[in-house]
Parts: sequence; structure tokens; C-alpha cells
Amino acid sequence: MNQNPEIIGTSPKRVDVREKVTGAARYGSDLKMEGMLYAKVKHAEYPHAKILSVKTGRAKKLKGVAAVATAADVPGNPAFGAIIIDNQPIAGDKVRYLGDAVAVVAAETEAIAEKAVSLIKVKYKELPGLFDPRDALKPDAPLIHEDGNLIVHHKTRRGDIEAGFAAADRVIERSYSVQRVDHAYIEPEVVVAYFEPDGTLVVKGSHQSIFNIRSAVSGVMGLPLSKVRIVQASLGGSFGGKDDVMSVLSCRAGILAQQTGRPVMLSNSREDSLIESYKRHPYFMDYKVGVKNDGTITAMEIKMVADGGAYASMTQFVTWRSVVHATGPYRVPHVKTDVYGVYTNNTYTGAFRGFGSPQITFAYESLMDEIAEELGMEPLEFRRINILHDNDITATGQILDHTVSVGQALDVTTSASGWEEKRARFPKENSGRIMKRGIGLACSYRGVALGAEGVDATGATVRIHSDGSVDVATGLVEMGQGLKTIFSQIVAAELGIPIDKIQYRPTDTSLIVDGGPTVASRSTIMGGSAVKKAAIGVRERLFQAVSEKLDVAPEDLIAADEKIMLKNDPSRSVAFLEAIALALETGLNLSCFGWHLSPPIWWDEEAGKGDAYFTYVYACQIAEVEVDPETGKVNVVEVWAAHDVGKAINPDTVRGQIYGGVATAIGYGLLEDVEMVDGVTKTMNMDEYLIPTAMDVGKINAIILENYDKYGPYGAKSIAEPTAELCAPAIANAVYHATGKRIRDLPLNLERIVLGHKLIKKKRRVR
Amino acid sequence: MKKLKLNITVNGQKHTLKIDPNLRLLDLLRENLHLTGTKEGCGIGECGACTVILDGRAVNSCLILAGQCEGREITTIEGVTPEDGLSPLQQSFLDNGAVQCGFCTPGMILSARALLDHNPTPTEAEIREAISGNLCRCTGYTQIVEAIQAVADGREEQQGSL
Amino acid sequence: MIPFNLERAESLEQALEFLDRDGTEVKIIAGGTDLMVELREISPGEKGPGTVLDITPIDEIRGIKDDGSTITVGALTPHREISSSPIILQYAPLLASACSTVGAAQHRNIATIGGNVINGSPAADSVPALVALNAEAVFQSKSGERVSLLKDIYLKPYQTDIKDDEILTAVRFPRLPEGATSSYIKLGRRNALAISRMNVAVVLVIKDGEITEARISPGSTTPTPDRITTAEELLIGKEPSEELFRRAGQAVSEEMINRSGRRWSTPYKEPVIAALTARALGEAAGEGV
Repeated sequence: MNQNPEIIGTSPKRVDVREKVTGAARYGSDLKMEGMLYAKVKHAEYPHAKILSVKTGRAKKLKGVAAVATAADVPGNPAFGAIIIDNQPIAGDKVRYLGDAVAVVAAETEAIAEKAVSLIKVKYKELPGLFDPRDALKPDAPLIHEDGNLIVHHKTRRGDIEAGFAAADRVIERSYSVQRVDHAYIEPEVVVAYFEPDGTLVVKGSHQSIFNIRSAVSGVMGLPLSKVRIVQASLGGSFGGKDDVMSVLSCRAGILAQQTGRPVMLSNSREDSLIESYKRHPYFMDYKVGVKNDGTITAMEIKMVADGGAYASMTQFVTWRSVVHATGPYRVPHVKTDVYGVYTNNTYTGAFRGFGSPQITFAYESLMDEIAEELGMEPLEFRRINILHDNDITATGQILDHTVSVGQALDVTTSASGWEEKRARFPKENSGRIMKRGIGLACSYRGVALGAEGVDATGATVRIHSDGSVDVATGLVEMGQGLKTIFSQIVAAELGIPIDKIQYRPTDTSLIVDGGPTVASRSTIMGGSAVKKAAIGVRERLFQAVSEKLDVAPEDLIAADEKIMLKNDPSRSVAFLEAIALALETGLNLSCFGWHLSPPIWWDEEAGKGDAYFTYVYACQIAEVEVDPETGKVNVVEVWAAHDVGKAINPDTVRGQIYGGVATAIGYGLLEDVEMVDGVTKTMNMDEYLIPTAMDVGKINAIILENYDKYGPYGAKSIAEPTAELCAPAIANAVYHATGKRIRDLPLNLERIVLGHKLIKKKRRVR
Repeated sequence: MKKLKLNITVNGQKHTLKIDPNLRLLDLLRENLHLTGTKEGCGIGECGACTVILDGRAVNSCLILAGQCEGREITTIEGVTPEDGLSPLQQSFLDNGAVQCGFCTPGMILSARALLDHNPTPTEAEIREAISGNLCRCTGYTQIVEAIQAVADGREEQQGSL
Repeated sequence: MIPFNLERAESLEQALEFLDRDGTEVKIIAGGTDLMVELREISPGEKGPGTVLDITPIDEIRGIKDDGSTITVGALTPHREISSSPIILQYAPLLASACSTVGAAQHRNIATIGGNVINGSPAADSVPALVALNAEAVFQSKSGERVSLLKDIYLKPYQTDIKDDEILTAVRFPRLPEGATSSYIKLGRRNALAISRMNVAVVLVIKDGEITEARISPGSTTPTPDRITTAEELLIGKEPSEELFRRAGQAVSEEMINRSGRRWSTPYKEPVIAALTARALGEAAGEGV
């Protein structure tokens, strides 16, 4: 039973922010150590080449250089990876993209390390490169890894696709593409690695999923998992971006720390980060849809190619999420979806807020508007005919046995935005205006947590101390999303104590068991459930002690207002502190571990079917834009974003997620593009990689929908990722409404709006 | 490289230092004076994480040589933090959910403070313009603008100077 | 950052003295918003400047003066000061507006107009406005003063005719004529912190419903900044109209292609500079056009 319900659903001040507003919070680059060396990386000079020799002699002789390491110095496995072990922290025989390292240097200062890097001479045999993922599976394509260029092929099958098209009055085909984008966390990647006297390698830094990084470091360093400690510093943004790249940095710094016996800091410049760190997958997407004249969708056949770049990273998982959700939140009786993830010599791609959904949402939500237009229907009307309802069956054959709220999300956003009226009014007003107004929408459904892509379980420890203070430890991490605050609220609620009594323990792999990665918007629903179990566990011990003292049954007690009291007679109570003393006197353990395993789900990869996720969230976003068709400038005037989160444990934090996700998607829709030409990154810093400023993000109306979910703590599901998957297609649809121009490729930059296509710049020199 | 003598006032405290001529103001603050609240995000003045106040105006400390600051006054995030507690802007950022990862926060607060020092009653548009050189990837800026507006409107309790 | 020596000049005389001794390997720093990025991008092993000369302390070349006909803006005047100066707002509002679009507050607080002029970026914000103002550039060296029409100092993108021993001390221009109106439009990819994709500054004098003077100065359009006289001439003696302004815009596009040829970006720039020019002329002419 919920003990102290008041705190759930309120927004107490965040527990990790006081140190952030004073500048006291310690991020990776603030972790200076006595005797610390600085590392720099010698990057590849060709996107695809055999390494013939690496000459490090002159670099080693430079005064102030402590070590120069090459692939020969890697003590353990040459590579790591989630499923395919292909990512080499220091490349040995071959480089596969320009972010590969051929050598790493540690020196007394960063300037010396940089100088030393410039003295390393590498001989290569250049190999033909593969830069367009659509060419990867052609017979004459250059091979990037020995086993072929296909990383993965996922499929979804439902019904009989031919019968589906036969039942259609029309068949509509469209192709869409999305670009490569960078996480653009404001803090670039950084680690400090050192060895403890007992031989434990400690790597502190800007880590996201500490256990994934530990396993990579353990393999590459040839150390047991127990001898690797990954410790998270305050994290300056991640969004899925500080995993594999942090494994790479950690291994590089770890090798240099081992060679020198000294602490080593490796910090990426922004340029390093743009070249080296993985990006969101570019996709090419072909949709073929059968539809009846009454607006009913009968079939969808979908083929997608995702550019995985040089290493597999999360490609299998990212593309799996795409294959599950490719049809959007619609009833489609006949489905055939194929998604191919392939290698190229581009920067590798992996997790980024959305994880295979922003790509497909852009395609299917642009497509819904296009089909509506073909049928002479309004976009809203057409969606209403086809959207999923309670107990409907998804493209993967799963029955949705929870509240399916996409219709509700459509209702509240269209009503809040004045949708009908603006759809009718703007076209009439636009003829006399330079800036054309338009309004567009997009909706989605999204499987919560990891889904059937893997085992989903996580743990937490709650300890009560003799003085009444309490601490919490989890393997899931704070990265700005508010996890520490939400977990603290859960502990406060279950123990009936104020939130300021709760201390969050450091995020350190040596303090707690592996609880999986902090990804997939799973922290509240999975981690929150584990924290709740741990808090209830420890509370039960207090109740045991108090029940003896008051001579009542433990189940008649509740914890609230820093007391343990009788549910039916609050006047009979024991103070929290006294309850602790009673428990300790009787030798009870006031530390409890909670473990939460997700409900059963399944996936049949061969058949392309399954109950992919144990629950789903639903959302709708509407964007109102003004477009200057003569210059191509688009301004997002206002956004309405409704998200079903199950239960908002902390509404301010939910709103913060919505605002941030919308802004990221505005960048995706209008501005952002890591341009690569023949494997060379042209977008080298934040003067060229443009993310929205405070003047580019219009008013955002965050609308929280709450439909209790039986699998979440207090009914809560998730937020974070769905916020970033909707605004780009909503903008594209709004631009169409404003101008009649349908842009099927992101971003909708100045040139695309004016010309309908991107300008291709001439080649730049290779670095 | 000839070392350079530098007299500089940081957060009200005078320093006389010998510095390398190619030292950036950002490095002087972080490395020499250990004021690590000032952050580096891009090194080319595009993200604003290194914003400090130089003689009353917000500047990017990555774009200024320390040696250019002879006789000048610098305020960093450490300098706007009262000994006990928080300044109204800091408190307002805390109260309004304006902080997520926090990496842009010190620079953001200094830009906001420079704005309010010169224009105590800004409009929302003026606030957005004043922080447009401070990139934030987490918040979508909404709660940051609200936090600054709350101070300008006097809704945040005055605790010492701005 | 590569190593170099830093020298501080406390006075113009001292700075010129220094440059006269050894100006060849010296880079001048003022606001630093361009130079610091340039220095960062020099990799170890590449040749950098031996010395950076800091001219920030030289107060005599900072500030805005108006002698009743000519306005002189000291080279060290930051963009923020220009965009909020009552003199500039009254007699050269297009320059105020151009300076207000540079970067973000952090840049405008420190970046100087002299730096914007001398950096020679084709996308510079202040330069089209200065060219439309018929501004002159004033250089000083030990051997004296050199004055040049500002548009004539540009040799090619990022290159001016400044000599190793010279410092740009000021830009100056006549007040806009009585009754003149003006406009400056910047198109960037973002609404702040944006490099101009294209921009344009215009000045119009309209008397008794007839255009008697026109100046059109586009940015990121021609290899070096210039007024487009072919377009200006179209306007003289005519009644302002949307159609006329469209034709002037076309003339700017045509001149862009004459001077720069057809490049990868021309398909975009050709219609856009025409539209921006027409729009700026419309804004300058005011309501009813």
C-alpha cells in the first residue's frame, strides 16, 4: 500500500541541483588527480584502409611524453560490442572510419600530447570506401568486416500482404529519408583512469550505462569484472550518446594508465566528439500502403535501410524497435516490414533518444498526411479511422491489454491548439502574407523499456541508518532526467519521511549489482519498481519491530509523517527514529535490496511476430509554424505535446522532458545534420552543427495524460524518448499545410524548402 | 613563449600571476584558479558553457586570452554564490526545474545575471535573446526562461544581491 | 593551442611602433571572437603567428563620434555599443540593426567592428551596412594615415589590403541624407548565433513619390562586398512599387552570377537574394508599397 501518497505526483525540488546552480558539481573534466597525465588520440587518416605501419619513435622521444600505445599494447580482447564484437578502441590491422584510433598518447600536458600525436607517422594502404548504405549489400560492395556488410535484417509479418493489397482501392507508395545527427550534449566525452593499489582499474567520467562500459573495459583490459570500477561523474547530458564511445575512451585511458602507472585523463574536444562519437542512424524508408476509399488501411509493405557505419554498436536493437513500430499507432491487418542494418565507412551509429523511432515516425506520420490528401480527407479524420484502440492487435500480433490513449492524445492536442479552426483559417490568410502559417500533427505509440530485445531487470538498495537518514543506490544513472529525485520521492513515499532525509549514493559499479543500462526510458518503470520494492522491504522490518512494541499486526501499520502508526488509529504511533532503534535492538537488517524483473514478453525473430513490449505509451504533438517560402526559413511558433505517462510521479520533471524532447526534435526537423562526404565529417564544431537556441524554440504546451498502468510503480510508465520522436513530422506536415511543399527528407533546411532538395557542396580536403 | 605578468580581479579577489601567453581566460579560471564551475563545451564560443562576466558584460571565456584581462574584473559562477545559500537566480533555477544535466547552468545563470544587471525588467523576448548564446540540450529552454522571468518579476525572494 | 608571444599595446603609438619593427608574423587581437577560433584550428606542427598583439587597451580608437556630418566609429567599438548608440540609431539605423544580429550577446559585447571589417568574411554582418553607408576605412601606420573606401579594401574572401605595419583605427561615413530610409535584412539558419546565409542592406531617398537615391549592398553574394549599381540605377527616377523592387532584386541576382559565376550554391542564392533585396527595399520604402 502507498504510505505517503502526497509526495507522488508533486514536484519537490530536485535533489541534485543545488550543486549544479553553484558550479560545485564535479563533471568528468573537473576530476583532476595528483600526477595525472593527459591523453590524446591519433585518429585514422582514411575512412577505409589497411594499416601497414605505425611509427611512434619520435612521439615517444618527445620530452614530457609518458607512453604511446598502439593496438599491440591492448592487453585483452582487441574489440568489444553488445552482440557483435567489432569495435576496436585502438585499431590494429585496419581502420574503418575516421574516428578510429591508430595510437594513443599520454603526456604531462595536453599540448605535449597533441604535439606527440602530430609526430606519429602511419602508413596505410587505402581501400575502397562504402559510404551509401543502399550500396552495402550489392555484390561488388567493399567489405568492411569479414562476415559481410549486413549487421542485421529484422522483419515483421502479419496477415497476407498480397490479400491486403488486393482488398485496397488504392495503393500509395512513398519514400523518405532522415539524416545523421549528433547528440550534441553540451559536455564532450571525458574519462580519468587509474589503478588502485589492489590492481582494480577505476574509470571515472561522463558515463551513461556504467555496466555496459564495465564489460567492455573488462574484456579489452583482460581484467575480471570485479577488478573494474566504473564511476559516473556528474553527467553533462547524454541522450543515449555516452555508452560505446565511453567504453572506447575508458579502454584507451585504461591502457595508458596501465603502461604509466599514473592517472590518465582523456577528454574529447568538440571536434573529436563530432568525428568519433556515434550518431543517430540515417534511414532510407520505402512505404507501400493499401487503403480503401473509405479511409481504411488494408496493408503496409515497408522496407528500410539503416546506416550502421563502421561498427554494429546498437544497430540490432535500434532497428528492432523500428521493425516493431514501423506501421505507427494504426490498425493494419496485413503487414510486411523488412529493416536492414548495414555497415559503411561512415561514423558508426547507435543509441540516441528515440532509438529507431524518430526515423520511422517521420516517415509514417508524413505518409498519413499524404494518404489523407490522396483520399481527399483531413489528416485528423483519416487518422481517427485507423488509430489503435483498447484490445486492438498490433503489427506484430500483440493484443494491447491496457488503455490505448492515442485517440485521447489526438483529442486533447487538437482541442488545445484550435486545430480545426486553424486548419481552415490559415490557408485563407496565407495568400497575402510573406510568412505562411501552417499547423501539422503527428502521433505515435511506443513500447516501454527494453522489450523483447533482452532480459529486462534491475535492482536497488535502500538503507536506513541509526540517525534516521536513508540512502539509496541503483545501477541506473542520473543524466539530468531527474532519476535521483524520482527515486528519492518513491523512498520518501514508502517510508513516510521527508525527501531531504534521503541521500543518493554514488553511481559506481562496485556499489551495486548490474541493473542493466540506463536506456529505453526504463528508469522510472523498471528502476522505480526496484526502488519501491527495496523501500517496502526495509519498511516491513520496521513494521515488524513496531508491531511487537504496539502489539498489533504488521499489516495494520502505515508509515507517514516520520511515524509508524496504526492505520485505523493514527494516535497509536512510534516515531520513525524510535522504530529504527527498536529494529536495530532486535538485530534486524535495515538495508534491503529490491530486484525487479519485467513481465514476460516474447519475440519470434524468424516469424517476425511477438508480444514485443509489456506496455506502451501514446502521444500526439502538434506544431504550428510560419514558413518563408522565398528564403526557406521556418519558425516553430507553438507546439502542443500530449504524452500519456501512466502517472506523473514528478510533473515538473515530465514537463522538462517534454520541453527538451520537443526542442531536440525541432533541431532534427529543421537544422541538424552531421554531413559526411566520402567518409569525411564536414560538420566539425557547433558553428556548423546547429542545435536550436532559446530563440528557435517557440512556446511549448506540455500536456500530461495519466492512464494508470498495472506494470508501473504507482501506475507510472515512461517519458523521455517519445517526446523526441514526433515534432519533426509534425513540422513537416505543418510546412506542407503552409506552403503545399511536401519535403520527404530531413532536415527541412533553407535549401530544401526553397528548392525541394539539398545542395551538395564540393568535397573538402581529407584531414 | 615569454611568460606574462597578469593582474586580474576574479570574484572580487585580486590576483597577480605569471601566465603563458597562449592561456585562455577559461584555462586561467579552471586550471590556475581552480574555479571549475566555468565549463568548456566547444572551445569556439558557440555553446556559451564558458560564459563569465567581464567588466559587467557576459563573454565567452574560451575566446579571450587571459593576457588580455590585465586590470579587469571577472565574475564566475562561484562569485555569484552567496556564502550561505543561493542567489535569487540560482534559487529560481532550482525552484523552476530549470536545470537538468546542469552543464550549461553556470553560463546560463551568468548570462541571465548580466541581463538583469542592465535590464531588471526584461520581456520574455529579451530573456530569450540574452541567453541565445547559451546552448542547452536538455530543457528546451522553457523552464530556464520561466526561472529568469520569476526573478525579474520579483517572484523569487531577494536573498542578497542578484 | 599553439604557442605564441603576447604583446600588449597601451597606445596606438606603441602598437604602430611594434608593427613597424616586426609586423610580418604578428596577428592583432581585439575582441578575439574570430582570431581565437583561427588560432585553435592551427594544429601543432603548422605555422602560427609568432606574436599576438593585443590592442584592446587602446582607448583612443574606441567609441562613436559625430561631427555633424560624418560619423566615426573607432575600430575597437563593440557591436553592442553600436547597435544601442543613439547616434547610430538616428543617422545610420541599418548599421545598428546589422550589428544587433551578430552572434549572440557574448559576441556582441566584445567583438569589435574593426575585427568584423578586417576578418573579411563574405558573411560579415556589419560590412554590407557600412558599404551601403559609403563608409571609409581609416588605417594608421608609422608613416601616417591611409583612407580607403571600405569596399575597396577587400581583395578576396578573408583578405584585405591592410599592410603588415597598419592598424585599422576607424570606419567613418556620412550621416544618411535627410529623408533617407534604410533597411538591413539578415537570413540565418537560426534566429540567433547564426552566420548570415545571405544579408542585404539598402538605403532609399524618396522625394515627391520618386526615388532619387538608392543604395543596395548585399552580403554573401559577390566575391567582395559592393553596391550593386545596376540594380540601383533601375530605381532612380521611378515610383516605388513592389514590381520595381522585384526587378531590382532580379538585377542583384544577375550581378551575383556575373561576378561569381554559377556555383554549387547558386540555385538557392539566385532567387533568395532577389527576394531579400526586394523585401529590404519594400521595408525601406515603408507602408503602401
